[in-house]
Amino acid sequence: MAAVTERSNFGKIAWPIVAWIVALIFFFPIFWLVFTSFKTDADAVKPEHLFRFTPTLENYTNMTQNYDYWKFAINSVITSTFATLFALAVGVPAAYAMAFNPSRHTKDILMWMLSTKMLPAAAVLYPMTFLTKNFLGIFDTHFLVIVVLCLINLPIVIWMLFTYFKEIPKEIIEAGKMDGVSTWGEIKDILIPLAWGGIASTALLTFIFCWNEAYWTVRLTTIDAATLSKLIEGNRAPEGLFFGRLSAVSTAAIAPIVILGWFCQKQLVQGLTFGAVK
Amino acid sequence: MSKRTLPRILQTPAVILLLIWMLVPLSMTLYFSFIRYVLNSNIRPEWTTPALSNWRGFGNYAYVLKAKDFLFAIQNSVFIVGSILIITVVLGLAIAVLINRNFPGRGIVRVLLISPFFVMPAVNAVLWINMILDPVLGLQGIAVGGINNLVDGLRDFPVLGWFFNLWPTLEPISFRATQTSAYAVIMMVAWQWTPFAVLIFMTSLQSEDESQKEAATLDGASPWSQFINLTVPHLARPIAIVVMIQSIFHLSLYAEIEIVSRGNGNKNLPYLIGEFTSNNIGAASATGIFAVILANIIAIFLLRMVGKSLMD
Repeated sequence: MAAVTERSNFGKIAWPIVAWIVALIFFFPIFWLVFTSFKTDADAVKPEHLFRFTPTLENYTNMTQNYDYWKFAINSVITSTFATLFALAVGVPAAYAMAFNPSRHTKDILMWMLSTKMLPAAAVLYPMTFLTKNFLGIFDTHFLVIVVLCLINLPIVIWMLFTYFKEIPKEIIEAGKMDGVSTWGEIKDILIPLAWGGIASTALLTFIFCWNEAYWTVRLTTIDAATLSKLIEGNRAPEGLFFGRLSAVSTAAIAPIVILGWFCQKQLVQGLTFGAVK
Repeated sequence: MSKRTLPRILQTPAVILLLIWMLVPLSMTLYFSFIRYVLNSNIRPEWTTPALSNWRGFGNYAYVLKAKDFLFAIQNSVFIVGSILIITVVLGLAIAVLINRNFPGRGIVRVLLISPFFVMPAVNAVLWINMILDPVLGLQGIAVGGINNLVDGLRDFPVLGWFFNLWPTLEPISFRATQTSAYAVIMMVAWQWTPFAVLIFMTSLQSEDESQKEAATLDGASPWSQFINLTVPHLARPIAIVVMIQSIFHLSLYAEIEIVSRGNGNKNLPYLIGEFTSNNIGAASATGIFAVILANIIAIFLLRMVGKSLMD
């Protein structure tokens, strides 16, 4: 018995320390990015200035001049926001219909929607470029980026909303029907207030996916509608050059989302499990 | 309006939008894959516009199958996705079990752990390949250089100097060669997605039936056999979900490959398509169709495994 208590006492101290070490290791690359962003480009590559250096903000103050950061950041905000809103506008009614009036085919439709997510984007890259450039003339516009971001996230939006809506007792919606509430009224006055938490976390996750998207936003834009992903991918410096300023602009590109994620992590996890893990 | 038509109308926009999104570009890819279509050709200018008269049948497919990189790209795609899945599931399980207890600062540990998941892929790749893995200027190079300097200094040490004289001089690894850059990609993506696995497993662990575990403890079951017999079966479903969602995202991995391996030969299927797209659209489209087939095989397998259970 003594041995057992001894071991568990040891465990009480040792395991939390291990947990802390693991967490710090995982966070270290982000810390290093932020840390490097306060060094000058020259200091950033010198081993003797690894930890001892004079911190400077010049990488941030020169960010607009070096990289035109704000232009790309504003594009990211515009496209991610509107794509999220449109995806919700299309997704909420669809998920509502599937959750409360399921037909024989509802399961298959949901499966099919998820399977569209598996189509490799690269397979349709050239047709998309061809269509939007030569045919529709919407290449490199905010409109195109918004539509594409909305469509690639739509399956996940519908899935997440569907799992949230399924949790709402059908009787509540039925009661509204008895009282003669219209379908629009049901959605607006009963469903949305009840499922507010689920809708909000779906919106957050969609926004994060849109912000971080790095295939279509890079390939379907040149300059006018280019987002932060394009900025970073386009400016990855040749080895060793500009580590300082590159770190600063990278920090600025990920900071909004990382901080948003910190505040909403609990809701995000729930949404991501597709309701399959309770 | 009857009870049945309204729901259909409500889900119609979503279905139609996804149908267009899927069918229009895909049927164009299918069409291009059967014709000769290149972007630049001085000898055969007629091939630079898509037309039925340039019909090539299965010629593009045969060409792609014979291309030296095709098999390698498929194997490399599977290798990269498979390695990431194994690393994230194993590490994710270990870390989830580790932090699934009360200790001081647990909330902060969670926040630190989840952070990599929110980093955009382009930044992830730039950060790892430059600031961390670079053999000269990154932390790897600096660390290896530091150890070498230290050992060098100890060589003149009296009495024990001979010991350090026999030490090897360490060589930093370059992660920009064909095979090592695949390792770099695996490392950075696993770093980003392990937190995701941890959070899903932790959510699931918290719902584990504690009374079952207590009964097992009373019966004298060891912690290890409890983990194998009670916890692992309970985690089967979350593991399936982690595998499914990650497969969806990693099969089309591109930004990381693009940044890490431009021009050094490391590639996956999407990257190979990108290479063909710079001129030979016919071959790019045929490769695209192969990629769609591969994705479908995996999708059918995964959706069978996980999808149906999600519906109940």
